Amino acid sequence: MLLTAPNEPAHAAEVAAVSLSRVTRVFGVTPALVRVDLEVARGEALLVRGPNGAGKSTLLSVLATALSPTYGTGSVLGFALDRGRDEIRRRTELIGHRTRLYEDLSGRENLRFWARLTGVEEARVDGALEAVGLSAAADDRVGGYSQGMRQRVAVARATLREPDLLLLDEPYAGLDDEAKEAVDGLVARTAARGATVVLATHDPTRGAGASRTLYMDAGRIVPDPASGGTRR
Amino acid sequence: MTLVRQAGVIAAKDLRIEVRGRHAVGTILPFAATLLIAFGLSIGPGRTLLQQTAPGLLWLAMLFASVLAFRRSYEAEGEDGALEGLLLAPIDKAAVFLGKAAAVALQLIALWVAVLLLVAALFDVSLGGDTGIVVAACLLGTIGLAAVGSLFGVLTESPRAREAVVPLLVLPLAVPVLLSGVKATSLGLAGLGSQAGGWLGLLVAFDVVFLSAGTLVFEYLMED
Repeated sequence: MLLTAPNEPAHAAEVAAVSLSRVTRVFGVTPALVRVDLEVARGEALLVRGPNGAGKSTLLSVLATALSPTYGTGSVLGFALDRGRDEIRRRTELIGHRTRLYEDLSGRENLRFWARLTGVEEARVDGALEAVGLSAAADDRVGGYSQGMRQRVAVARATLREPDLLLLDEPYAGLDDEAKEAVDGLVARTAARGATVVLATHDPTRGAGASRTLYMDAGRIVPDPASGGTRR
Repeated sequence: MTLVRQAGVIAAKDLRIEVRGRHAVGTILPFAATLLIAFGLSIGPGRTLLQQTAPGLLWLAMLFASVLAFRRSYEAEGEDGALEGLLLAPIDKAAVFLGKAAAVALQLIALWVAVLLLVAALFDVSLGGDTGIVVAACLLGTIGLAAVGSLFGVLTESPRAREAVVPLLVLPLAVPVLLSGVKATSLGLAGLGSQAGGWLGLLVAFDVVFLSAGTLVFEYLMED
């Protein structure tokens, strides 16, 4: 009897959402991640803190398979970072500084494009836009949107696919309160349905719902200076 | 089938962006027209010489104009990190290559019509002769150019790199298209289409090589 979905690891429910072993990422001669060991359980909401240049963005890019580790091994949702990229991408969504929207298209057209491309029902687009409060501006060109409105469209796009792992890289940067609420709402809804969330931010007012906090500095996971220590 | 559907979605998106931005009409067509006028002025007023060189000037103008189209095709992807979105989307990356190539090819075909009419008017060239051969050369050449441009355009997400690298990579590789296209077009316009088979064959071979190469290696060019 088939107990798991096709291409799902046999022990999907038990494997960690994230498992990294001595992962190092080097840009030229500059190390951005240094021998990072990390385990994140399924359903966990992990908050990653640290100053600019600490390696938070690189860590999330590695988890999203946008970057490959220079050294070290790891898996995301049970799939190896090097051989299971397609499977990881099918189940993961990364929201970063850049919203990946097309400026000459409207918010609705952007979402329809992603829905068609990834095989999501287009009927979900209107609901996703409504959930982030953008129904009225949905047919305006994204080029005329504020940064907050763009990020809300990005949040709406992330909800279309309902990922098993949601990665957010400084999602609050430059946002108005309404857009910050939209990001918080996405994090809360994702966590509520049992998916894993990794949120990187240095905004101290955010991430209150996280089940664990990780502190990074100079590409390494280090003890949190505020609490005196952290577990990997 | 999924690959074709995904490529179609990407091509439709690119064409919609192009229609909104009117880049081809506002920038590429005037550029091609200016090139043709400059070429014509540099050759001089001799009608016979202009008519003899018209196929070469036509293809040169299209080649340089197509570089603008390739750059524009990836400009929209670089504006707000959209190319990374395509990389991380659960899709066949060959669909990105094929979709972008299809969209650029359709834009270039529209440009061909305008530029052919312009050449006929400026250089007093008759578009009679073996019209089918001329059309075939233009279509096959367009596919080849679109394939090369879409393949190497992905290497240059940053605007500064795009300015320099796309012409440096694409123009030398497009030389076989240029030579074959000029020869086939010359023979077609002269009513000697029966002699153009070899040149059209070369264009077909070029298209097959670069469409196949793009489909196979595009994913590796996109990946980190």
